[in-house]
Amino acid sequence: MGTYIIKRIMSIIPVFLLAALLTTGMIHLSPVDPAEAYLTAAHIEQTDEILAQKRHEFGLDQPFFMQYVNTIMKICQLDFGISYVSNKPVWDEVIYRIPATLQLALGSLFLAVLVSVPLGFFAGVKKNSAIDHFSRLLSFFGASIPSFWLGYILIFFFSVKLDHFPVEGIGTWQHLVLPSVTLALPLIAMYTRLLRTSILENLQEPYVLFARTRGIQEKTIMAKHILRLAISPMITGLGMNLGKLLTGTIIVETVFSWPGFGRYFIEAIFNRDIPIIQCYVLIAASLFILSNLLVDLIQMYIDPRISRKEGQQR
Amino acid sequence: MFYTISRRNILLTSIFIFLLSSMLLGCTNASDEASTSKDDNENMLTIAWPRDVGAMNPHVYNPSQLFAQSMVYEPLVSYGTGGELKPNLAESWEISTDGKVYTFHLRQNVKFSDGTSFNADIVKKNFDTVLNHMELHSWLGFLSKIASTEVIDEFTFKMTLTEAYYPTIQELAVVRPVRMLGEAGFPADGDTSKGVEKAVGSGPWILDEYKQDEYAIFTRNENYWGELPKVEKIKVKVIPDAETRVLAFEKGELDLIYGEGVISLDAFKQLESTGKYETTISDPVATRQLVLNTTRETLSDERVRQALHYGFNKEAMVKGITSGLEESADFILPTNLPYTSDIDVESIDYDVKKAEALLDEAGWILPKGKSVREKDGKPLEVEMMYDSAESIQKAMAETLQSEWAAIGVKLNIVGVELAVQVQRFKDNEFEINFFSNYGAPYDPHTFINIVAKEGFGFNEAISAYPNKAEILKQIALIPQTTDEAERQQLYTSVLTSLQDQGAILPISYIKKTAIYQKDVTNFNFSANRDENPFTGISIK
Repeated sequence: MGTYIIKRIMSIIPVFLLAALLTTGMIHLSPVDPAEAYLTAAHIEQTDEILAQKRHEFGLDQPFFMQYVNTIMKICQLDFGISYVSNKPVWDEVIYRIPATLQLALGSLFLAVLVSVPLGFFAGVKKNSAIDHFSRLLSFFGASIPSFWLGYILIFFFSVKLDHFPVEGIGTWQHLVLPSVTLALPLIAMYTRLLRTSILENLQEPYVLFARTRGIQEKTIMAKHILRLAISPMITGLGMNLGKLLTGTIIVETVFSWPGFGRYFIEAIFNRDIPIIQCYVLIAASLFILSNLLVDLIQMYIDPRISRKEGQQR
Repeated sequence: MFYTISRRNILLTSIFIFLLSSMLLGCTNASDEASTSKDDNENMLTIAWPRDVGAMNPHVYNPSQLFAQSMVYEPLVSYGTGGELKPNLAESWEISTDGKVYTFHLRQNVKFSDGTSFNADIVKKNFDTVLNHMELHSWLGFLSKIASTEVIDEFTFKMTLTEAYYPTIQELAVVRPVRMLGEAGFPADGDTSKGVEKAVGSGPWILDEYKQDEYAIFTRNENYWGELPKVEKIKVKVIPDAETRVLAFEKGELDLIYGEGVISLDAFKQLESTGKYETTISDPVATRQLVLNTTRETLSDERVRQALHYGFNKEAMVKGITSGLEESADFILPTNLPYTSDIDVESIDYDVKKAEALLDEAGWILPKGKSVREKDGKPLEVEMMYDSAESIQKAMAETLQSEWAAIGVKLNIVGVELAVQVQRFKDNEFEINFFSNYGAPYDPHTFINIVAKEGFGFNEAISAYPNKAEILKQIALIPQTTDEAERQQLYTSVLTSLQDQGAILPISYIKKTAIYQKDVTNFNFSANRDENPFTGISIK
């Protein structure tokens, strides 16, 4: 298992290098010169000399390969450069905003699990019942409503009309409710359906019949056997969505004025603040990789057959 | 039994507890901070702004917000209605007959918010700090012409220029970078370009509480030398999304939303129609223009440019697209700016027949059975670039596309990002582009300067003007002219000529909007486009 983990961690490196290559290439593909973007943001008049000086400073006058190597070296030291707009180190700007984003992402994840596990479970166990129909309807809406629109609808009804929650901002638990629901609904839709399908599949398995014939209580079969095994694909889905959840905060943070990293990223795009954009892309890529790894490890823990399969492959 | 305790269960439970606790921890910390900011809301005006107020440094630009800088820091001179330049921290000033020496008599008994006195030393210190970073401020004309700054006595400050430059006093009214920071605001090395120690100003407001990306609370400066604001506090909430601003306003979490394009025109009209709120629209702050690039063969012919101007119903387009919140424009600069009210141009009204006649005369004939005019087998096709994030530009481009199709002109419209739009304009890679001037207190001199400047877009765009050299010569003369009448004459000549030949086509006057709750009274827009309008406001 140790070798498997090391192997998985090592596999992060090429993906990370590719992500860094893409962000370095992005600068060259953009129709706007980063040196000009910097000078525009800083309100500095653009003369040929100052443009050349800035290009030199940013290393843009070096061959592409050298730029790439420099980017990697700097990232290893958590040096993402200086924001064009605020003139502060990018890493400081990011660290300031990450807690708010994490709070929102974790809140949504918690809510998604809290709702989708019982809902998916009962929808599967009681197929074609009212709860199954309800879960189908919820999943339909969750998967098809765009986040920003859902956000406005929730604000309009629960905040403006019913006055249960604040419209925007951060601070109390009430502030967290509407953005979390907005972010969680697509996840609820997906996990509920995943779990339901998985439960239905497991119900057909011979071990269920065997357990029943052994006289094990139905409740125990459901909770200990079926749910435990059925939850496995959901955890995979969860892992695949951790990174997505963080990128999903971009829209929700903007709609709810949530002072996180996602909202800051949008501002950076409008300002052509390339160091921030680069940092965001790399963090998002890292999160996708790490969350997938984490999920694999949890899966292995829950179902040791996975690590045994890996061992066989070796 | 439902559950048996196992290592796996402990692991899963721990993960859930971790998720839940980190979430709650976040809430607890934040709510503590929020509770301190929730003091009594009496006499506090709450507004929304799309971005954080920024570092509150009077000597730098982004991300500091102009309106917030103008709340805390004051200029020597302020810009009033119709371009009147009024005393502010300087009570009066004298300009030498050669237009090079400016002597300012400073207001006495002015205190900064930390209690220190305002005097000529601190004025010099502010100017010198800014001048040490001319690479940041070269856009502001008079700064690059300063030869020396001197303290004559405690309340007299002298500034000598290398050459006469008439807009000096007007440029002193801009919000940045020439407003006064108190001594305690300067860092140890005196270099404010990297940041200030504290936001110490002499203005009517003091930054009292600030949470980056969330809100800023400004408190009335009780020691302010001028008229004290009526409200005690202004809370600025950072709400980046326009629809959310509207919803927060409807819920009563905001007292006022004001600015340019801060909410959609539809939302403004809808809120206004409820009759539950008060609304105000400002005087024109800038002109929305079309710039026609005369270096392109098609547009090099003045008759084609004029035909395009005659060929669309400006009045209807502006009214329709902006719901009447903008006003169709006859002049390339709003006439409430200095030197702009005396422009002698023929106003161009919608006249399809005339447009068609002009195109025929220019040799662009509509072949039988075709919908696009041709000349020597080449179709009359032009491209218009617009900012894809700007709904008004997009709608106008689409309207023009159909209007000009009716006179046999094929208009291709291309939506690009703002940064790309600016870049292509500068690189002369456009045929028709949208532009709007800077407004007060920058114009008219800043506008004509960029027209003359190479590599900005305008200079190249007016290349087909037979009198281009003459226009550029006049523009160069304007700032150095010390005679008021001569200056007016030059402005009239330049602005008339620029507009007459049709490369710069006025579309509409851009205005600011404000919507506020019924208990908010005395709202008035500032004459300076970047200044805040808070001082006169009161809450019933």
